[in-house]
Amino acid sequence: MKCIFKNKKISAIISVVPKEEYRFDDEYPIFKLTEDKAKRFKKMMSLDRHRIAPPEVCASDLCLCGLQRLLNEGTLKKEEIGALLFVSQTPDYIMPPTSNVLHGKLGLGHDVICLDINQGCSGFLLGLMQAFLLLEIAALPKVVLLNGETGSRLIDRCNRITYPLTGDAGSVTVIERCETESPIYVDVKNDGSRHKSIMIPAGAYRIPSTPETLKLREVEEGVLQSEEHLHMDGPAIFNFTMTDIPPQIDEILSFSGDTRDSIDWFLFHQPNPFILTQMADKMKIPHAKLPNNIVSLFGNCSSVTTPLNAAFNCGEQLQREKLRVCFSGFGVGLTWISMIMDLGPLNACKVVDYEPI
Amino acid sequence: MDKIKFYEQLAQILDIEEVKPENVLKDFETWDSLAILSVLAMADSKYGVTIKADEIRSVVTAADLANLVEAKQK
Repeated sequence: MKCIFKNKKISAIISVVPKEEYRFDDEYPIFKLTEDKAKRFKKMMSLDRHRIAPPEVCASDLCLCGLQRLLNEGTLKKEEIGALLFVSQTPDYIMPPTSNVLHGKLGLGHDVICLDINQGCSGFLLGLMQAFLLLEIAALPKVVLLNGETGSRLIDRCNRITYPLTGDAGSVTVIERCETESPIYVDVKNDGSRHKSIMIPAGAYRIPSTPETLKLREVEEGVLQSEEHLHMDGPAIFNFTMTDIPPQIDEILSFSGDTRDSIDWFLFHQPNPFILTQMADKMKIPHAKLPNNIVSLFGNCSSVTTPLNAAFNCGEQLQREKLRVCFSGFGVGLTWISMIMDLGPLNACKVVDYEPI
Repeated sequence: MDKIKFYEQLAQILDIEEVKPENVLKDFETWDSLAILSVLAMADSKYGVTIKADEIRSVVTAADLANLVEAKQK
């Protein structure tokens, strides 16, 4: 489904990562990998390090830290916040919504919309869409989009397939109206028939938590997983990224009248470096225009990966100038969203280490 | 399809010197989820075919895999 938004812009992005950094070279013994196998895995996935939040730090804490930074620096004022959107798969509680918890912690007034959205890898773009829609219909000053994920909690620490590729992070994006039309081109696609490709089968209400659903089972030699852990059908996901995403990129480029040359940056979700390299080659996008380092340096942080990608790789440039960017997010749902827009100059675009407030 | 080349590429993925058509893939220590992902990538980028999740799981020997890729190319 295609749509165009006008007179809206992103004015700031700040991503927050935990200070705790773990290197694959130090960690691989916990995965019970031989040195040879570890080397092979490291080479294929370009593994280096990732950031994992300590157990007492929630996704919302990472977001709150970023939001507080924007408020302290004067980039955003409390009274300008008309809506708080919290996109996550690791909320504080089942109820109330985490956006309400954050609203309370910030001491915001009553005229604010709070909304939690359950989405993963496409969650930055789905959140942006929601922000644009709210600015379209409601007379609110600015929308604050919070993407937060502590994905490390969804997997066993000894799972060599997923753990080394995973990271925890939060991100805050400010969205507001602007005088120039600057059309934003969006394409959203969903296929719920493939929802089992990426899922946590038990622990909610379809299959409630029991001692049985918590039991660890060996899914591949030495890899343990419970029914309450993240399950991923690797081959199905690989085929999804190779089959469904490249045509969507072609479609959105022709929808916005852009070419591979007119786009300054292709800022994509990064599932892992191997898949993203394959995708870039298939789409014939030069590697220099499609950053692919977030998983190696921070880990895949689900919906936070895309704004972290923008802030880490293009932060300084985006604080200075206007760039033409093509975003793409794809994953759980299955959901895939692409967006082409002008981005920058931003009031802030950076990555900071988490500090408790 | 040049099957000799295919077996060479498969050997490279499995990090071994040689793969024979009759070899059972599960017998290789390196036939794991990484190898499967690499095979899917090779099928896509070098042979232009998509191997489905259940298809790759039902493959037994190296020859089965080569035949699957060849059949899909037609």
